[in-house]
Amino acid sequence: MAFRPEPEHAEGQRRQNLLAISFFILALVTAYIPADMQQSIAWSVRVTTLRPFILTQQWVVAAKENAAEAGILRAQLDSLTATVSSQAGLLDENRILRDLLDLAERGEGFFRPATVLRSGIPGSESMFFLELGSGDGIENGAPVVNRHGLVGRILEVRQESSIGMDWTHPDFRVSAMLQDGRTYGIVENRRGAFREEDRLVLNGTAYYETASDNTLVVTSGLGGVFPRGIPIGRIAGIEEVQGQWRKAYRLWPMVEPGSVTHVIVFTNRVPDNLDQLWSDDSLSTVEKETVERRKP
Amino acid sequence: MSHSIKLWLVVLCLFLAHFIMHVGFGLGPVVPDMLTIALLLAAREIGIGWASGLGLAFGLLEDSLSVLAFGASSVAMTMTGALGATTRNLFVGDSLSFQLSYFILGKWARELLHWVMADEALRLPFLEQVMLNGLLGGVYVAAIAMPLMVLMGWRRREVR
Repeated sequence: MAFRPEPEHAEGQRRQNLLAISFFILALVTAYIPADMQQSIAWSVRVTTLRPFILTQQWVVAAKENAAEAGILRAQLDSLTATVSSQAGLLDENRILRDLLDLAERGEGFFRPATVLRSGIPGSESMFFLELGSGDGIENGAPVVNRHGLVGRILEVRQESSIGMDWTHPDFRVSAMLQDGRTYGIVENRRGAFREEDRLVLNGTAYYETASDNTLVVTSGLGGVFPRGIPIGRIAGIEEVQGQWRKAYRLWPMVEPGSVTHVIVFTNRVPDNLDQLWSDDSLSTVEKETVERRKP
Repeated sequence: MSHSIKLWLVVLCLFLAHFIMHVGFGLGPVVPDMLTIALLLAAREIGIGWASGLGLAFGLLEDSLSVLAFGASSVAMTMTGALGATTRNLFVGDSLSFQLSYFILGKWARELLHWVMADEALRLPFLEQVMLNGLLGGVYVAAIAMPLMVLMGWRRREVR
């Protein structure tokens, strides 16, 4: 490699220095312009130069999914076909009765499934991209969940795609309560010395209210961002006590964001209470799977 | 093929490989920071002005994917490019130890600058991002860049 010194021509050197200073000022400007402008620039780059790479990730995720779950899906399809063919009469009867009572279809239209895309770039650890946008009924702040519980929320929505943050983001906050509604507080992310030490904390609970270990913590619905009843984690001990008026509890999160590949995003028609969606038996089943997966 | 065309082809390949590996395949820190390798290679060849411009372009691309700390990569890469180009005036040599230090310190400086520019609440702990990721990442970068230079015949040419 030709390691030459800078051109000695003074004019050329001056031009290079001026260029460097201009680019440096431009870089500083990008760091301090309003967030809206930053998002517009980022958006433009993502839909142009970076589009092929983001599409590649979509294809890779879809291919991995197809390869890994083909057998499981075939088994589920076979079971479903058998079930549906044996219950066709029952479904017809149910539909007629629902029509007579003028009932809407259960769970109709208040969620959309999506594949999580992560950029893998430093500084983007707590965020993800979704190929869902305002055209799909998604709004800023929409809750993002999976079958285990709360994953995060949507930060920015465009027509056809959106950006979300998971609970490992330092700005993540959610109003929460114990499942039985005895104690309320705010769940937040606490940074550790390393990312692996990040943890969820139920903060601001009353000192004289006690939450025993393994109690389920769910969203309370207060504040209007998250509907009530989405599982967040289980109590894993006391994190800190302040005087004799406040306690904070450490949580075992229901969701490990790093392993999430598919999520559900609630649309603007989501009901206020979702506690029927995560029944205790289905939660204990998925938790067993999580524990099994953690085993070496 | 002229040396300059070869260099720009390598830079282009590293750029493509970086985003295919990191974004397309989602491999994250498993693969080295090839964008920094490309910038450091180019910075020794082009003037300080164009090295800063290339750094800014690379930084903007990374910032577009890390919206939470927008601008941090732009500033870090612009300055890394400028510093890399400045070393041409300070160090003319081509020894193995110089080149190893160049890539390790280049990557470390990029992580340090990114850490300084990122918001306090958003950045990783100093120990993790600068001391661990920066230095280990630097060694990883050097381990890829040095064989690449030998492969392209750039080290051999200087030794002669």
